[in-house]
Amino acid sequence: MSARTVGFVIAVLVVGALPWLLQAPYWRGILVLCAMNVLLAISLNLVLGYTGQLNLGQSAFFAIGAYVSTILVKTYAWNFWAASLAAVAAAGLLGLALAAFAVRLRGHYLAIASLGFAVITYQVLVNWEKVTEGVRGIYGVLPPVGSMVGLFYLVAGIALAVYVLIDNLVRSPVGDTLRAIREDEVSAASLGINGALWKAFAFGLGAAIAGLAGCFYPGFVGTLVPDAFNIIESFTMMAMVIVGGMGTMIGPVIGAIVLTFLPELLRDFGEFRLMVYGLALTLVVLFMPGGIVQAWRTLAGRQWHT
Amino acid sequence: MTDLLALVVQQSINGIYLGCLYVMVALGLTLIYGVLNQINFAHADFVTVGAFAAFFTVTRLGTKLLGLPDTAAYLLSMVTALGVGAGLGLAINAAVFAPLRERGDELRPLIATIGVSVLLENFQLWLFGPIPFQFDSPFSRETIRIGRIFFTAQSVLVVAVSAVSIAALYAFMKFTFLGKALRAVAQDRETAGLMGINPNLLIALTIVIASALAGMGGALLGPVLVLTPFAGATVIVKSFAIVIIGGFGNVQGTIIAGLLVGVIEAFTVQYLGSGLIDLVVFVLLLVMLVVRPTGLIAERKEENV
Repeated sequence: MSARTVGFVIAVLVVGALPWLLQAPYWRGILVLCAMNVLLAISLNLVLGYTGQLNLGQSAFFAIGAYVSTILVKTYAWNFWAASLAAVAAAGLLGLALAAFAVRLRGHYLAIASLGFAVITYQVLVNWEKVTEGVRGIYGVLPPVGSMVGLFYLVAGIALAVYVLIDNLVRSPVGDTLRAIREDEVSAASLGINGALWKAFAFGLGAAIAGLAGCFYPGFVGTLVPDAFNIIESFTMMAMVIVGGMGTMIGPVIGAIVLTFLPELLRDFGEFRLMVYGLALTLVVLFMPGGIVQAWRTLAGRQWHT
Repeated sequence: MTDLLALVVQQSINGIYLGCLYVMVALGLTLIYGVLNQINFAHADFVTVGAFAAFFTVTRLGTKLLGLPDTAAYLLSMVTALGVGAGLGLAINAAVFAPLRERGDELRPLIATIGVSVLLENFQLWLFGPIPFQFDSPFSRETIRIGRIFFTAQSVLVVAVSAVSIAALYAFMKFTFLGKALRAVAQDRETAGLMGINPNLLIALTIVIASALAGMGGALLGPVLVLTPFAGATVIVKSFAIVIIGGFGNVQGTIIAGLLVGVIEAFTVQYLGSGLIDLVVFVLLLVMLVVRPTGLIAERKEENV
């Protein structure tokens, strides 16, 4: 068995055992949240880490996934899975719309355009009350499976599948193409790489994955309000990717796990949740630019390769 | 005067008043971008900190401890907010911009300042709680009436302070040696260094000036905003829109764009409702980015687009 297969088997075993190690309903809820965050971190990492596009609007796609799936189920009585499929498609399409900006803009300009994109999405959710119920929110959203353990297995299973899929993708020539765009777009173009096309691919796929995570969020919390998809959510996703180590597969997963559990452990000290995110983000950028993964590799004395 | 004309004039005045407040914030962002090619995402949180500093200067220090009349206390609060802003600028330069500059990365400083922003907001949340503070300016109580147009003494004060700040900044940049050196650093950091100018010092100075403006902006904005730890977040997104519409690093463009956004906001409130302000401003931003990414007044920064 290759190291990769061993890692996969271990991951499956850990996911299988976790709900029985953490049996309190509260911690089982945190596990579901963690699986969702892993999905979101993977989705942002594809755009930020592998393609090198600073996207501050990822929360918008998470929101679209949540709203489209919930509205189709509650208002139009769709089946959850059909609604999720539509929601993922909608998020992916919106990702392509943002990619249209990414084709023309770079660096700081793209960062602010994507931020504007997230603000507009949030404002539409607040103001389009006929469809979204605005700030009043949508109540009584049911999860696709009854038990918290079932929901965890479902989301974690999907996260694992997405991980394997993206892991294979970034090790394929497609991954090389995306990295080439990240390193130097002009050189990439000189090698015949169509930057616009591949950026659209990365944004679309990243958005679809975030939308997929969004499908499970409303059922998990039971209600759906625009504030759950504030800009700050984009920043927390970014913190997970950067703290873990962007541009590596395992890094964002570690970042998501650390930044989901760490604030919970500090909960006794008051409103520390987001302070931890802010502090972690700043300190890692300053002192550990490759995140936990790079720090680990340096400590373990191994060579750096993505 | 017809009703419509009176309405248009009234809303234009409201818009210019708002616009001046935005200019105070956006100008700092543009100044920093001009010399450093960097965005300080925590800039608007300096506005919030400035607003809180001003609030406590008025309610505690000024009126209680020093026994000043409230108008004098408010004027004093603008000075403390200015000082607090300058201190924050010094700190963020030392902690984030100076260490990261040597690595020459484009996006890391932005990400680090996003972290600082999240940290500052939640630190203030811990300190002050989520309930909004009622920050009244004594000048808001004085209403001035000309014909059918009304405005408060506060809006006159805001416009005057902004105008003086902008004029002082302009004079500093244009006529002093330091200002000239600053423009030289903005144009070409290395060559300026060869001419015996210390770029590090001037970059620090720029960040301090920009942050001081943001802090004072907080004292002026405090009475307008719902003063919570997240007050700055509502201004920062608009400031980014203004800076982009005006052209990054372009001071003139930023001033025009700031006033423009203020006026657009006033008319949006009048005709579409206050809920749609951000939507209108950001659709304008995205249109601008696609149609004319160099801003209203085109400059050299083509390579970033």
